[in-house]
Amino acid sequence: MSTIGSGPAIVTRALQRTIVGQEGVIEGLLLGLLCSGHVLLEGPPGLAKTLACRSLADALHGEFKRIQFTPDLLPSDIVGTRIFDQRESAFTTVRGPIFANVVLADEINRAPAKVQSALLEAMQERQVTIGPQTHPLPDPFIVMATMNPLDSEGTYALPVAQMDRFLLKVDVGYPSRNDELAILERFAIADAPVVGPVATLDQVREWRAQAHSVHLDDALKRYIVELVVITREAQHPTIDYGASPRATLAIANLARAKALLEQRDYAVPDDVRSVAPLALRHRIGFNFRVTAEGGPSRVLEQLIAKVPTP
Amino acid sequence: MTVTQLTLASDAATPHIEVPFHLIITAHVRQRVAELDNLDLPILAELELLGSERTTVASRSGSTYRETITVVAHHSGAITIAPVTLDAVDARDGKAKRYFSNSLTIQVAGPGAAIVAADDAWQGMRALAEALLRLLVIVIGIVGVVFLIVALIRRRPSPPVPVVTLAPAKPIARDPKVALQEALETLRRERTRAGAMRARSIVRRMVGASDAETLADVLQRPLAADPSLRDLLRALERAGFTYDADLNVAVAAAIAQLERMTR
Repeated sequence: MSTIGSGPAIVTRALQRTIVGQEGVIEGLLLGLLCSGHVLLEGPPGLAKTLACRSLADALHGEFKRIQFTPDLLPSDIVGTRIFDQRESAFTTVRGPIFANVVLADEINRAPAKVQSALLEAMQERQVTIGPQTHPLPDPFIVMATMNPLDSEGTYALPVAQMDRFLLKVDVGYPSRNDELAILERFAIADAPVVGPVATLDQVREWRAQAHSVHLDDALKRYIVELVVITREAQHPTIDYGASPRATLAIANLARAKALLEQRDYAVPDDVRSVAPLALRHRIGFNFRVTAEGGPSRVLEQLIAKVPTP
Repeated sequence: MTVTQLTLASDAATPHIEVPFHLIITAHVRQRVAELDNLDLPILAELELLGSERTTVASRSGSTYRETITVVAHHSGAITIAPVTLDAVDARDGKAKRYFSNSLTIQVAGPGAAIVAADDAWQGMRALAEALLRLLVIVIGIVGVVFLIVALIRRRPSPPVPVVTLAPAKPIARDPKVALQEALETLRRERTRAGAMRARSIVRRMVGASDAETLADVLQRPLAADPSLRDLLRALERAGFTYDADLNVAVAAAIAQLERMTR
């Protein structure tokens, strides 16, 4: 495995040609891709969330579909429906936009719960049932959902169980001054450059297999468990409930993928510590006191710092 | 107001025609009140009302209202007295309720006639059920209050979690050459994962870091700025966490780096 991780690095470089800064977003998307997990991006408008998702699909030569979530969206608008063909006197299935390799669920919290459930069921089962038939979704299948934290009017908060289905959540922040200057120079007079395909879907499947085989030492497994358990047992005044065992699995998978991105076939404590916030932040029930303590990220940072690394 | 008792009774065991006797209404509420409003007495059509006396006694357990009505019967036979009613707002749930006492049937007859307490079997069962219900409500209330107090105590915000910030460690006074030689000997003696972790610990202490820091933390330390030392730290990290088939190669790489640095 001398060239391990060199493939995903090509995709990273391709995305960096289009996306200025936002290393966290690019890495989050790659981690989701390598783990076969879904990614939730939360950030204000205008931070290239949609562009990043679209660029990833273009770089993979995969099929990309975007669904703009609105309050009047119906489940059949996502998964598809059956219509009656009068010429054939039979029902035919019309597949929805969920049948794509990369699906962007833009502003997922603008649709009501039944629509969110239709999408999230597909995310979990990787198949959808339309009428009497079950249709498997393409492989790879990754959902990237975006949320805007600034505007809560007319939105439907994602239930805890549905948040848990996302492998990781990336908080998208504003770019630095230098990055903003680069954005100005790059996009002021031209559209964003189109990312050409740099990898095939077969390669993606191969990378996923490589990520899956990355060695995770027993000491790191115990470290992961301690990181999750402390969210439940710390009795922190800002936490109502801790992370689920799904978070344990998510951190382990993400640490393996992170090691692959670093072109290693073994994970180290740095891998675990760097991905833990991505897997934990949206799985912990923070209460109102968290604002006074500096926000969820700050509290989580404190908790992670309390766990000794191996 | 919380009404815990409302009864109607007679003090005469054998009332006789034209002999006064007393009807006694007793009410007990948990609150301390001067008097009970909204207490409706039954119409005593077959008895002559001679007078009444009211007392209200407040105590720690609440207030007891007692009204003694002096009456007289002018003919024999059974006289049924309807229940006394009391309208009050229940303090437990804030709802307006009407409370009923028991009814009373008095048998006034000739000589030897006896008053028959009119509480029939159903009334008795109802009173028993009400008493049990009141007891149950009291027990649930006490348990609820205790639970609430315990919950409030447990939810009291604990002091903020202290931020664990690793104080910059003081440089070790030892000669780095000595520490590196020690790490090399450790790794040569024990070419296992445990040996690699021991050598890793020695080198980390040499740069002022602890075992609880990750490699990224260690590499940020000023004493770890030397490129060859950084390579050594990475090699030891690999030897500590790589898979078994790669362990020998990783340990050999760490030893080679240590040998270069101690030469």
